[in-house]
This record gives sequence, C-alpha cells and structure tokens, in this order.
Amino acid sequence: MSSSIGEKCTQIKQEYDACFNSWYSEKFLKGDATPKCDDLFFKYKECLMKTLEEKKLDTLLADARKDNPFPNSAASSASSGSSSSESSK
Amino acid sequence: MVKFYQHTSSFEHAWDNVTYAFWLRYPNPFASHVVGCDVIDRQVDPVTGVLRTTRLILKQGVLPRWGRGLIKNPDAYIIEESEVDPQTQTMVTRTKNLNHVRVMQVEETQTFTVHPENPKWTQVKTEARIISELKWGLTGRVEAFGINKFMDNSVKARKGMAHILERLRQNAALAASAPAAAAAAATPDC
Repeated sequence: MSSSIGEKCTQIKQEYDACFNSWYSEKFLKGDATPKCDDLFFKYKECLMKTLEEKKLDTLLADARKDNPFPNSAASSASSGSSSSESSK
Repeated sequence: MVKFYQHTSSFEHAWDNVTYAFWLRYPNPFASHVVGCDVIDRQVDPVTGVLRTTRLILKQGVLPRWGRGLIKNPDAYIIEESEVDPQTQTMVTRTKNLNHVRVMQVEETQTFTVHPENPKWTQVKTEARIISELKWGLTGRVEAFGINKFMDNSVKARKGMAHILERLRQNAALAASAPAAAAAAATPDC
C-alpha cells in the first residue's frame, strides 16, 4: 500500500484510498457518482496541505496547475511559459 | 529542443479493470522508486459525470554520473492529472515532472479506451514529449538519456499495470470460489 509524501498523513490517506477504491469499483463505474468519501478526503487533505507547505511544494504545485491539462483547443498552450517555446526543433 | 514519442498497446483486460488498476498501481515490484503518492484534488463534474483527479507522486531518482553536477537532489515530483468518463469509457491521464524542468521536462499523455477489436480488452495510446532547455551542448545527451529512460520506464510501468491486473483477476477468481479469503486478500492502494 503506497505511502503519503507526508509520513504523518499515510494512515488517513490509506483509509481514504480504501474508501475511494470501493466507491470507484462498486459505484462510480456502475453509474452511481454520489460522493461517499468526502469526510475522509477533507481530513486527509488538511494533513497533506500542511506537509506540502512544510516541504515548500505548494507554490511549485500551484504553478504547474495553472496549465489546463485537458485543453479542448490549442488556445491555452501558448501561455504555458517557456517550456514549449523552443519546440520548433 | 524537443523529442516526441508515440506508442499504442493493449491489455487483455476489460476497460473497467484497467482504469481501476491505474489507481492501484503503486506500489508494485516494478516501481520501487515510487516512495509516495497523494491525491491533491478529486471531484466528479456534476454536468458531465467525469471524475477528475490530480495526484502528486514522489519518485526517488537515480542519475547518470554526468547528471550529478546538474541536479543536487535527484528526487522527482510528478503531477498526474486524469479524467475518467464512464459514459464513453475513456480515461485520459497526463503526467509531467514538477522539478528539474530546466534539465528535462517529460510530459506523457495516456488514453485508455475499449479495444476496437475486442470489447473485453483495453487499448492504450501513449504520447510523450521530452524537452530540455539546457545549453552548452548538453541538450542532445540529456534528451537521448531522457528518451531511453522514458522507454525503460514505460516498459516498467506496463509490467507494473500487468502485475496489478493479474492480482485483480486472481482476487476475482478467489472471490467466486471463496469470498472470505478474497476479502482478506483485498489490496487497497494509491
């Protein structure tokens, strides 16, 4: 079972994972998208956000998430910073 | 400079199980370098019914000797964004590294769909882009290293998924014959 990046969050993460896994396989894939694991997720996320701040990962993550990972058009690709600016060769 | 990579493969497992295995895929014997995996955000779009997830994955890196001067800390953080549409039976995942991006940025998109020739199988289309902004003549070397490493890792990732899928299949077989034993063998995961 995989651990959280923040050691102290691993237990709550694994409780959440167990909840999500059963929801995903038994509900979501069968057409029932009613949320079931929100309480566990909020607790887990509270712990995780503290860890990300401590490790100074919060800004890195926020920057990365500015890009829309699923653009329906190519419009957003030009604004993704320098990463694609030299893609001509 | 940028290099592209494209590949289509399949799993002899149903789409439902493959997408489920995607969530369970760490840890597995082929991904010992993955030391942590967290869900940053997850929600179902109330209009489309699509499940959208953002995960953060921490990998312990191993660098070639010539790379050690470029990167002090070889740990790599990977962001993984995904969408699962149960209506169209499509899962799209997109991953990229968050740090070390000046040395190398790897962006990978995978699309999981029902196999066009066999509805009990799953087709996986992989597209990747490897970019390096390094100067001083290192880019070619970095990208050649990057693409080789990427292909090695793709093979490992595939083996990891196959391993998890086989375990799911065994659990299902066990559940049919001995439900209590199957429950005990259940493997919740990342």
